[in-house]
Amino acid sequence: MEQNKFHAIGRIARRKDGIAKVTGREVYSSDVTLPHLLFARVLRSPIPHARIKSINTREAEKMGAVCITSEDTPDIKYNERQVSIPEKTYRDRVVLPDKVRHVGEGFAAVAAKTESLAEKAMRSIEVEYEKLPAIFDPYEAMRSGSPQLYDEICLGDTKLPIESNIACHREVGEGDVEHGFKEADLVVEKEFRTGRVYHAQMETKSVVCRPEPDGGISVWPTTQSIHNTRQLLGRIFSISLNKLNVHRVPIGGSFGSSIQMNTCIPICVALALKAQKPVKLVLSREEDMYDHCKYPVIIQLKYGVKKDGTITAGELKTIVDIGGHNIQAYPLLGCMAGWFVSLYRMPHLQFDGTAVYTNKAPGCAMQGYGNPQVSFAVESMIDIIAEELGMDPIALRLKNYVGLGETFWGQGPTVRSVIRSCGVEEMLLKGKDMIEWDQRVSPDKKTGRYRKGVGVARGFHTSGTGAPTPGEVIDYSTAMVKVNEDGSADFSTALMCHGGGTLEAGAKIVAEELGIPIDKVGISPADTRSTGYDVCTHATRGIYCGGASIQRAAKEAKAKLLKFASRLLDVNPEALKIQPREESDQGHIFLPGSLEKHIPVGEVAKMAQYKGWGTAIGVASHRQVNCPPCFVTNFIEVEVDTYTGEIKTTRAVAAVDCGTPINPDLAAGQLEGGLCRGIGLALLESTDYDPETGRLTCGGTFIDYKFYTPVDMPPVDKVKTFFADTYESSGPFGAKGVGEAANNATAAAVVNAIYNAIGIRFAEAPVTPERVLKALQNQPDVEK
Amino acid sequence: MDNTEYLRPSNLKELGQIMAGHKNRATVIAGGTNLIPQMRNGGKSPELIVDIGDIQDFSFIMEDDGFISIGAATTIAEIASSDIVSTFSPILASSARELGNPLIRNRATIGGNLANASPCADTALPLLALDAVIRILSPGDKTRNVVLNNFFHGYRFTDLGKGEIITRIIFPKPDDETTGSQIKIGLRNAAAISVASIAVMLTMEGKICRKARIAAGSVAPIPMRVSRVEQLLENQEISATLLEQCKAIMKKEISPISDIRGSAEYRSYVTAVILERNIQRALS
Ligand SMILES: Cc1cc2nc3c(=O)[nH]c(=O)nc-3n(C[C@H](O)[C@H](O)[C@H](O)COP(=O)(O)OP(=O)(O)OC[C@H]3O[C@@H](n4cnc5c(N)ncnc54)[C@H](O)[C@@H]3O)c2cc1C
Repeated sequence: MEQNKFHAIGRIARRKDGIAKVTGREVYSSDVTLPHLLFARVLRSPIPHARIKSINTREAEKMGAVCITSEDTPDIKYNERQVSIPEKTYRDRVVLPDKVRHVGEGFAAVAAKTESLAEKAMRSIEVEYEKLPAIFDPYEAMRSGSPQLYDEICLGDTKLPIESNIACHREVGEGDVEHGFKEADLVVEKEFRTGRVYHAQMETKSVVCRPEPDGGISVWPTTQSIHNTRQLLGRIFSISLNKLNVHRVPIGGSFGSSIQMNTCIPICVALALKAQKPVKLVLSREEDMYDHCKYPVIIQLKYGVKKDGTITAGELKTIVDIGGHNIQAYPLLGCMAGWFVSLYRMPHLQFDGTAVYTNKAPGCAMQGYGNPQVSFAVESMIDIIAEELGMDPIALRLKNYVGLGETFWGQGPTVRSVIRSCGVEEMLLKGKDMIEWDQRVSPDKKTGRYRKGVGVARGFHTSGTGAPTPGEVIDYSTAMVKVNEDGSADFSTALMCHGGGTLEAGAKIVAEELGIPIDKVGISPADTRSTGYDVCTHATRGIYCGGASIQRAAKEAKAKLLKFASRLLDVNPEALKIQPREESDQGHIFLPGSLEKHIPVGEVAKMAQYKGWGTAIGVASHRQVNCPPCFVTNFIEVEVDTYTGEIKTTRAVAAVDCGTPINPDLAAGQLEGGLCRGIGLALLESTDYDPETGRLTCGGTFIDYKFYTPVDMPPVDKVKTFFADTYESSGPFGAKGVGEAANNATAAAVVNAIYNAIGIRFAEAPVTPERVLKALQNQPDVEK
Repeated sequence: MDNTEYLRPSNLKELGQIMAGHKNRATVIAGGTNLIPQMRNGGKSPELIVDIGDIQDFSFIMEDDGFISIGAATTIAEIASSDIVSTFSPILASSARELGNPLIRNRATIGGNLANASPCADTALPLLALDAVIRILSPGDKTRNVVLNNFFHGYRFTDLGKGEIITRIIFPKPDDETTGSQIKIGLRNAAAISVASIAVMLTMEGKICRKARIAAGSVAPIPMRVSRVEQLLENQEISATLLEQCKAIMKKEISPISDIRGSAEYRSYVTAVILERNIQRALS
């Protein structure tokens, strides 16, 4: 295999954006300033469900503020997420509504010369609300006679009536589950729940817009997809795409919360168009917390197994409480089916998912897109089955996992492909040694106040959403690579780096392919005018899909470069190679075996310029026909204080099979980050709502919304990470993804560890000290 | 916040003049970690803010004649890393180390923590257990001392009158027979406001407890001393049965509420648990 010969891939290099980020010189959306800039504030509903009867903006206008309400904005239904094809896109919202469906939903906005004037103007607006009954529980929402959030929405361009607040429903089945359960020696069934976790990305949603003299508009938004933002703005505001330029701005974290075009963006565009001045809108933390959360799920899971551990059938039913808008529930349900089906082999299977509207902030993708939730249930259940059968949990996993050569569904039933690289067994066995699994004892043998336990869980995520045939989800990337006249190179792509090093990886791919030093590769600024389409940096697709397009563009540029060199050296281009040379700090083109036939890359590019041969440039727009699983395995040790219910995580081993790790240090960092968020999902995080007021009980700030932090993690030397030794031949230089996978197995590993510590099975996350203590008090053998 | 005036006196004399002249409208600001958020969410809208950050006399940690004095504007970070504090009142040092996060600790002050009078004020508990006294500067350059235990009158309501400023906190250096322990239960390690916390100081004579100080936080409208438990312990040998009694009385003395950080039931239960634990730790 090639991997040992890489000079750039797998190297630990200084991040190109590192200095700007650590010195505070990086320019995020909220740092963008323009002449004559106005500042915007959004007026948001204090009540969870209401019709806006009247809005009086006179006072605000007197202060000099520009105001907009539903009357000033296009009456076009949209869905902020543009990743699915239109026929599968549920459109239920407009830029500014006349009906609000959750506390914090914006329905009017102002722009003024200063932030404080804007705030004052916003507060001066008088509103008359017609309060409507609100609903917070998904089961209640589905009951007949319950208040309805919607009468109808649009599916694509067709009207779709909504009944019983059911946003969408999906059923997927294969074989005959009833038959499968009959064949089983043991049938297990359990309900699992996960919380309404907030993304807590560092940067709150922000945007700056500038109306252009030609009637167009330029936008600097917080987003994971500049092209989808542009297309959607074009549709809403009827602006031709060539006049609409969306710039890529570094993003201060995302966790999936900016896959969609953030709702503050069209509001800011509408303000800028009306004011005919540039406008900046930066959400407060509270506004951001009322804007999005992870999909909370209720899962009913059932498996049939033979005595030897063979699974005969599986059934997963889920209710997803999506909040006030349907951002991406339909593909979510498909993916949840895919996650379920692709974890363990089942001859007979059934999936049944329902997404329900409630009067809360809308759910959207968050690191794993339903996968941490499904894996929480499935991986807990595998431990339950192992115990019932008296099998080792690792052995049971090894017996049933979907692996090499098998078909997996990845991103739902329409995206199927065959697994060609798989490190599941390696990770389970090596991790088992590292955590000293064999010293694990059962909970009934533990005594004392503090009890430790070790748990395992595995999982995977897909690298992108590519498949052999076009499906419901759009997936391709475009890139351009050009060799500069001094031997350096630039590449441009609309890919986004969320902080995990996606663009660094792009630079390494270019360096590797062109045979030049990493330092000599520049990342071009990107906007929608100067880049080809890229769907979005989401779904763990950055390196596998985006990187593949970069590699193809680099290959094309290299072919041209070698053609130019072949003329200069009088050698057939196919016989030439390029390698970086330290002494000249650039790539050298040479004929292996010959001492005379060599020339620096820069000289070739320069000569090509002098001779008028052109630039060595490559462009590729590429769809991956596969979305290989990046597998993960987590081992976690916890310590439960049986007196207070507090749980500490004391050791962890996290492993990923990401094919070739292109940025090994950053990939390891992703594993640690994934662990941290996964433990938060298991132990700490949820945004709860007060059913009286419809408001967040945490008040929308980090004082009372607690996520897991580095200080809460096991000590640094007790967190071990490693990579499975695999090579994915369809990926750039053998790479797959990491991002979401890193988090998918963690919550289950934590609850499995808690079970091993105290013998109590928690099926509802977060497992707070209060819940632990309550459960312990019903457990007679634990001393208190 | 637009209409708020801001003054930053550079010495005690200037401060005295400002406070005398504007005692009805002046609000003191130290680190601002309580006041600024309260102003932002509309809870407070002071007309005039007087920043005491430049006044040297308010920022010190001193050991003198059997007493420890700490200036009111001393930051929590300074207290957390002070050798004097660690040596003579480790429970104050550890509670300072657990307050907020590094950013907050670098700004937050001990005077602000007490004057803000939140039931979960972390430094109040060790200071109550240490029998601290606070010195207050009143308008007209008058000084008075208040025992901390008499300082908190009710929920966020203190003994401070109009124009009064805390200048320092003083407590006696514990003798060799006196030891303490402090435990804070939060939802996580980093920057967590306490769900329940307890500080304990015990003076032992052999096996007999001669003096007990027990302070509890986040379980009543104010950071409170639990004197009934103290009385139960004093002049007794601390036995398992006595501890059980203490725990029972503890639960009766406190009046926790349920909120997002924990239910009343949980608070009551863990308060008893950490009381016992604290006493055991102080004795070990
Ligand atoms: C993110 C975050 C986390 C926090 N975590 C904790 C925590 O874990 N534990 C905890 O106890 N607190 C916590 N706090 C609260 C706060 O940081 C502390 O109470 C801090 O000690 C307040 O001090 P300050 O100097 O910032 O007070 P300021 O905000 O400046 O003042 C607070 C109040 O005290 C008054 N005041 C200040 N100094 C004096 C004085 N010398 N004389 C008279 N009145 C005065 C002010 O007028 C005001 O009413 C947290 C706050 C934040 C924002």
